[in-house]
Amino acid sequence: MVKDIVTYPTPPSAEYSTDVRVFDENLFALIDDLKDTIEANGLEALTAFQIKNHFNVVVVKKSDGSFLELINPRLISTKGKITTREKTAYFPGLSAEVTRYDKISVIYQDRDGNDLSLKAEGDFSILLQRKIDYTFGSSFLNKLSKEEKANFELQLEYGAEAATAQTCPTTFKRDYFKKGVMAITVAMILLFIASFFVESSLWMTQVYLYLAALVVNVGYFFYGYYEGKKYSSCTSCQIGNIIGTFVISLVKASVVLGVSYFFM
Amino acid sequence: MARVVVLGGGVSGHTAATFLQDWIGSNHEVVVVTPNSKWNWIPSNIWVGVGQMTKEDVTFDLAPVYEKVGIIYHQAKALGIHPEGDKKSDKPYVVVESTKEGSVGETENIEYDYLINATGPKLNFGATPGLGEGTNLGEHTVSVCTADHAEHASHELHKMIEAMKAGERKKFLIGTGHGMCTCQGAAFEYIFNIEHELRKAGVRDMADMKWISNESFLGDFGVGGLHMKSMGFAVSSKIFAESLFTERNVDWIIGAHVNKVESGKAHYELLDGTKGEEEFDFSMLIPPFAGVGLKAIAKDGKDITDTLFAPNGFLKVDANYGAGAYENWKASDWPSTYQNPTYSNIFACGIAFAPPHPISKPMKSPAGTPIGPTPPRTGMPSGIMGKTVAHSITDLITKGADAPLHKASMAEMGAACVASAGKGLFNGTAAAMTIYPVVPDFEKYPGTGRDTDYTFGEIGLAGHWIKHILHHLFMHKAQLRMGWTLIPE
Repeated sequence: MVKDIVTYPTPPSAEYSTDVRVFDENLFALIDDLKDTIEANGLEALTAFQIKNHFNVVVVKKSDGSFLELINPRLISTKGKITTREKTAYFPGLSAEVTRYDKISVIYQDRDGNDLSLKAEGDFSILLQRKIDYTFGSSFLNKLSKEEKANFELQLEYGAEAATAQTCPTTFKRDYFKKGVMAITVAMILLFIASFFVESSLWMTQVYLYLAALVVNVGYFFYGYYEGKKYSSCTSCQIGNIIGTFVISLVKASVVLGVSYFFM
Repeated sequence: MARVVVLGGGVSGHTAATFLQDWIGSNHEVVVVTPNSKWNWIPSNIWVGVGQMTKEDVTFDLAPVYEKVGIIYHQAKALGIHPEGDKKSDKPYVVVESTKEGSVGETENIEYDYLINATGPKLNFGATPGLGEGTNLGEHTVSVCTADHAEHASHELHKMIEAMKAGERKKFLIGTGHGMCTCQGAAFEYIFNIEHELRKAGVRDMADMKWISNESFLGDFGVGGLHMKSMGFAVSSKIFAESLFTERNVDWIIGAHVNKVESGKAHYELLDGTKGEEEFDFSMLIPPFAGVGLKAIAKDGKDITDTLFAPNGFLKVDANYGAGAYENWKASDWPSTYQNPTYSNIFACGIAFAPPHPISKPMKSPAGTPIGPTPPRTGMPSGIMGKTVAHSITDLITKGADAPLHKASMAEMGAACVASAGKGLFNGTAAAMTIYPVVPDFEKYPGTGRDTDYTFGEIGLAGHWIKHILHHLFMHKAQLRMGWTLIPE
């Protein structure tokens, strides 16, 4: 059956590269779907991942029209480097300069589970490497040089981040609290400097500012903890991180208060 | 009064013994038999191996710690288990041979009511010709498996650094020294710590660094790889590892079984059948692990080692050893109580229990050589197992033989791993990874077999700080200092 090919900006699933363990009708059906989809779209090769299947399967259409089926492929040895301009079905109409190995050796299994290996070079080697990357959930984005990646990103409507499986936000509301504490700490520093030019004692104001920083910081802690629970897969939401930020902010404000105590 | 004998005083055995003493020690006897006089926080050996810590930083004397809490300590190595006693008595016992200065070689029988086998592995250097003889490290390579080995490694490494400063180019080969190794993580940490030290010493451009491993893809780590979060992206550990190796300019050979080591040269066979050799000036190759070679003897004197132990020398526990081929492997094959099926008063934890099968996909070369990581049992799962077994034995003693056993299966257990990639307060880095569960459960989590919400990883300075804090935390805990019971495994 012809399946839809996952294309940018649909993020690839975070579930991928599961080795095939059972060689049965389900696997054969998956291989048939891959072949049908290759034929229907006039492609050279496809991985199961590109049609939303998590198994580690690659099907390549050879020049004579027959198909090469690679189950659980692994890239074992490599030789030489080669840079070419590549296209992939995930980024329709786009291409990028990618550096890959020239000669490779791949081990894989056939549909009966027999262990096999093959050697490849040139275009075939490049194709296999691109496909094996997909079985591990990566498009060629991860293989681009810094400059090439920057160029490539310009062509992408939604940026490169859309092309990677995202489960963690990059901005958090709790950061407003952090900025608040920061602003108060800066105000405390300014007040401390001001105290050298002003006659009246500013010490009590400094204490109130410190208390305000403390309250906002406690707010940060509890809100951060609440927010973090919503994103369990996100390392920057771990409680350790929140405690760390809480302590750092508190220490900064306390240092300013301590210095103020002696000089104000 | 019951007596619990713990064989081995590593992470798992020490955890089990100290908790047992804490829970039932006032009324019962806890005995630890370990050939080492010192306890070693093994994960920090990596830092000893590059000269960033001393042997004293990562070890402490066991005797005073055990004396403080009342654990009976025998500095001896276990030779055999007599689970049915002998002709004279039905009381089971273990035969131990002293390794203590002054009484080396003297044997003694220690009777037990409950036995915990937590001997850890035998470092089987002898499995690869040239890597060593038996459990002894050979002359061509170094090791970071023990604190003494690590000290020697550091010494050799600094000789290399001096030579490079004098203008000589040097080749480094780090990885696994056999097709059936585990502990890729330790070698991974070591190669990146060396790389970091070489950069600090200003000689990185004089070194060619290469990784050699039995993994079928970079980033397998013996757990079939994992999907981790890094820099805001969800990536496979393969992509993560490859980018780290490329960034640090470390080349790699994977799917390799090192079959012979000579002076300055390692010979290997790859999964695709090709053979090759790699030259080196400095090499650290992890040896494969085996059971320590305990014997089991029945009441009538018959050798029943096969009944108690699996062929690799690890103790059989409540695992399904008949799972067969890869496609039949299930998470439920993994043990949860660590009780021996034949003798219910014997338990095994840590590396000493026999796993039902590997976690990574088993593979072999066309010549039939098995090449693939065996399952790792790192500190965190080992500690949890030790505590679980201690819980079970406490209940068996205090509540009676019918008390239900406590369970902790590696298929329901997460593990945190912090792999150091360079030590330094401000320029250190470490990759912090968490996986859940350690053993993939394909029935519960179709697809990867893991809960991707709880499997993540990140690399950076924070990871290094965590690793450093863990060092002090676990040294503190193992020395049973104030509040030790509150520190998790």
